[in-house]
Amino acid sequence: MKLDAKVPGGPLPEKWDKHRFELKLVNPANKKKYEIIVVGTGLAGGSASASLAELGYNVKTFCIQDSPRRAHSIAAQGGINAAKNYTNDGDSVWRLFYDTVKGGDFRSREANVYRLAQLSVNIIDQCVAQGVPFARDYGGLLANRSFGGAQVSRTFYARGQTGQQLLLGAYSAMMRQVANGKVKMFPRREMLDLVMVDGRARGIVVRNLITGEIECHAAHAVVMATGGYGNAFFLSTNAMGSNVTAAWRVHKKGALFANPCFTQIHPTCIPVHGDYQSKLTLMSESLRNDGRVWVPKKKGDKRSPDSIPESERFYYLEERYPSFGNLVPRDVASRNAKNVCDMGMGVSDTGLAVYLDFADAIKRDGRDTIHKKYGNLFQMYERIVGQNPYETPMMIYPAIHYAMGGLWVDYNLMSTIPGLFVLGEANFSDHGANRLGASALMQGLNDGYFVIPYTVGGYLAGMPLGEVKDSHPAFKDAVQEISTQVTKLLSIKGKRTVDDFHRELGRILWEYCGMARNEAGLLKAKQMIPELRQQFWENVTVTGSSGEFNQTLERAGRVADFLEFGELMLNDALNRKESCGCHYNEAYQTEDHEAKRDDENYCYVAAWEFQGVGKEPVLHKEPLAFENVHLATRSYK
Amino acid sequence: MSKTINLTLKVWRQPGSEAKGAFETYQAKDISTDMSFLEMLDVVNERLSVEGKDPIAFDHDCREGICGMCGSVVNGVPHGPQKATTLCQLHMRHFADRDTLVIEPWRSRAFKVIKDLAVDRSAFDQLIQTGGYISANTGAVPEANAILISQETAELAMDAAACIGCGACVAACPNASAMLFVGAKVSQLALLPQGRPEAAKRVQAMIRKMDELGFGACSNEAECEAVCPKEISITNIARLNRELIKAAFGSPF
Amino acid sequence: MNWIIRTLTCSVGKKLIMAVTGLSFCLFLVSHLAGNLTIFKGPKAFVSYAESLHSLGALILMAELGLLVLAVCHICFGIWLFIGNLTARPVGYAVKKNAGGRTLSSAIMPYTGLFLLVFIIIHLITFHFADRGGKDVYYLVHTTFTSPGYVIFYLIAMIAAAFHVKHGFWSAFQTIGANHPKYMPVIKKVGLVFSLLVGFGFGCLPIYLSLS
Repeated sequence: MKLDAKVPGGPLPEKWDKHRFELKLVNPANKKKYEIIVVGTGLAGGSASASLAELGYNVKTFCIQDSPRRAHSIAAQGGINAAKNYTNDGDSVWRLFYDTVKGGDFRSREANVYRLAQLSVNIIDQCVAQGVPFARDYGGLLANRSFGGAQVSRTFYARGQTGQQLLLGAYSAMMRQVANGKVKMFPRREMLDLVMVDGRARGIVVRNLITGEIECHAAHAVVMATGGYGNAFFLSTNAMGSNVTAAWRVHKKGALFANPCFTQIHPTCIPVHGDYQSKLTLMSESLRNDGRVWVPKKKGDKRSPDSIPESERFYYLEERYPSFGNLVPRDVASRNAKNVCDMGMGVSDTGLAVYLDFADAIKRDGRDTIHKKYGNLFQMYERIVGQNPYETPMMIYPAIHYAMGGLWVDYNLMSTIPGLFVLGEANFSDHGANRLGASALMQGLNDGYFVIPYTVGGYLAGMPLGEVKDSHPAFKDAVQEISTQVTKLLSIKGKRTVDDFHRELGRILWEYCGMARNEAGLLKAKQMIPELRQQFWENVTVTGSSGEFNQTLERAGRVADFLEFGELMLNDALNRKESCGCHYNEAYQTEDHEAKRDDENYCYVAAWEFQGVGKEPVLHKEPLAFENVHLATRSYK
Repeated sequence: MSKTINLTLKVWRQPGSEAKGAFETYQAKDISTDMSFLEMLDVVNERLSVEGKDPIAFDHDCREGICGMCGSVVNGVPHGPQKATTLCQLHMRHFADRDTLVIEPWRSRAFKVIKDLAVDRSAFDQLIQTGGYISANTGAVPEANAILISQETAELAMDAAACIGCGACVAACPNASAMLFVGAKVSQLALLPQGRPEAAKRVQAMIRKMDELGFGACSNEAECEAVCPKEISITNIARLNRELIKAAFGSPF
Repeated sequence: MNWIIRTLTCSVGKKLIMAVTGLSFCLFLVSHLAGNLTIFKGPKAFVSYAESLHSLGALILMAELGLLVLAVCHICFGIWLFIGNLTARPVGYAVKKNAGGRTLSSAIMPYTGLFLLVFIIIHLITFHFADRGGKDVYYLVHTTFTSPGYVIFYLIAMIAAAFHVKHGFWSAFQTIGANHPKYMPVIKKVGLVFSLLVGFGFGCLPIYLSLS
């Protein structure tokens, strides 16, 4: 298979305009003849549903939550980037583009990233018009802040709830289309398979999570916006329901999976405190704007932080990266936290935490100012940890946060399966090996509002599609396959719970495929996961029946997929014999322990083709050509 | 400091929406006070699973207090005893050893129990569908800074927009009224200039829908405000009332 | 449906009726109390106040009819809301606890309301429609309040009225949308003072009369 990214020719800034002109259009009167399925209602899925319905398509939208408003985009705190240059500090589309490509450690597709930067300005306009209450200056104009290592202020925000507000904007636009009859909403449905007819995506099979019924839905195109796979690690900042199932099952149907080893570790999360822990909570990265990160210089120092004098504190980010200091990108901040903890300087009972200290900021700006900026985050921290960050430094540790990898898509966001489009975190396209702060919201909305409406039209207008009904035999086969799996899961009646298996898988992946990897560890994990998978299919216990609201059964299906997917992450990590972005292989580092890229041999997207469970997948490479930026070594010194 | 406590749980178990429910008693032993409430339920469920018993069904997703999916009534108070906190953010350090916790689902005619503690809140989606939006098609919008909004107005709108749609307001209201939910949405959009063109239509439609869905009326008891995890104020209900008066007596329809 | 019916029969509309009629009753209570307090100036003052009221003729009849309409609205809509609210939660909670918003006066609103209805009917029968047998109104009031049972009933009713007004007063402002951070604290205080005035003001009459 030769991967064709379908990147249009011409100069970078003109590619998208040219492409839009070249894409065929669907006659307005014909749009109502098309059915489009959208799976997932986060920023990407919600905005896509609304925009496609506004154009006149009939949209069927599915989500696993009880309401489309609950998708995990809602948890994004910090903000959304846009190259508006409202602050007159030198921002431009080009700079946002460059920062994103560089932040992604030159492992993303130039043309996609440029389009993202270009369209970012429209997103803000759209959201404001929908009533998103962005922060304002005294004069009533939009306020900006600098965020996540950017040297310009280009981040728009709505308190610490930007993701929520943007999602509610997209959700409300979609609800308007539900009222118009153009979107049909199916909540509490889990996509369990893609149905293909004549090599094209023509529908999906879902499980109704309330009744347990397996339902078939046919369409002319399928748009997946099912989020990331971070929960493979069990503990992550993802929602409990976030999973890889939909993506994994289309991968098994032939869609290539790109760069699965690129998982972002967020540096500012609340540390793990017990075995029972179900998830990790992220504290917005904006905290690093005012907080100073440090550990005691003495190893195993058990003194309380306030009794450690200034001279015995190691402000490792400020010392190691004088120009960016505490604002280095996420991967760098995370790796350094691990590094100092590995050196024995970590704090808390577990030794797996570093301090994020606001004492200086409070002294400088006053408690009120800090309260205004971070009050809700401090409150959240206090609720969870039971300590007051105004009095004592916060403890933070990195945690799995975002999946840069995902289903491979071309410039049109279409996967290798014709008619299957993948948006948002579920695709791999825009963030390379590391995502910059406030860029996920930008990408999700960009894909949904401004890319998919054009490219789906181009696909549909490009070729005549025959009628496919949900009574087609292909649906029957898929339903059969799912029913078999469900019956099997329920019949094992073993001794270990689903979560127990998931937890163990998570530990393996975190240990060997987490913040730092090495070949021996990856190989070891590659042995452990198939064993664990086997145990799962022999000894898992799933109570209840298939014809009811059965949350254990839901989770069992997801964990079964994670157990297969985990192996793909390892394969990808093993293949990439370099360090770049969030993929840090200890064998490839500079003298001062920075990631060492190998542009000569690994400047490509690794897209994997499924061959069967437990079989080695086949690697397809999409070479990355950088015509407009110079491949530089990232330096935040 | 972390310690462990033992609790007695009385949990509402109901196999399906049409089935009869009843309270079941469980012992939650050795619960770390650092656990969240939902992690405590996870532990109980893990133990039930190992025994081959059906775990307690409850809705939850982000566990960060923002998605609005979780929520049960704990000892008579939605989301439990801590103010401004969702159930997932409530930690066990707020309970004492040997406490008995009665855990019930949201109760309202408009929210049917699906199973155990999980309820159907699709009525909230229906409310938003009747007007909780601004009609702005993708692309057909002005430059963002063309609309000036004073900081105070933006803040007030944000206060209202912070609603997570969890339904605790309905659960707490003696009349199972959705006025705080509707008030918050109507307020947010009425405060912002973008929302004014549809304000009159919106408020009338949403109130009508709210009645139709079977929610009760507001009797200004402010229980909703007291349990709201986002501390949304009942001034938003007053604004909703004001908007209705304006719409009914001032608009041409 | 006509827009006004549509508005006044929706849940907020019904509450608007409650608020407007309720506030009107507050005004009525003020004038009623002012009139009643003339009793402290002696029987003559009280009788002349009553006579001057009656001399208004058609005006007083219209006022009475107005009050009747207000009362019918307040009662009917109140009961309508009360029943609607009861049905909004078919299955109740096993454990009931106030989260901090509810007060005693707000919780017993429908019951104080119904009790006041009973009181008003008896009150009207006793004083308004009574056959005075040629005696003046002061005599009637004075003799009525010599009965300890009636005094106690009257006092309980006044306590109920005070509670009803305490929640009803600010609640009415909230319902008509007059909740403003600058004025609402004042409105709440005025409501409290007013409810105390109603309770003590009307309550001191039977005590004064039964002791005198």
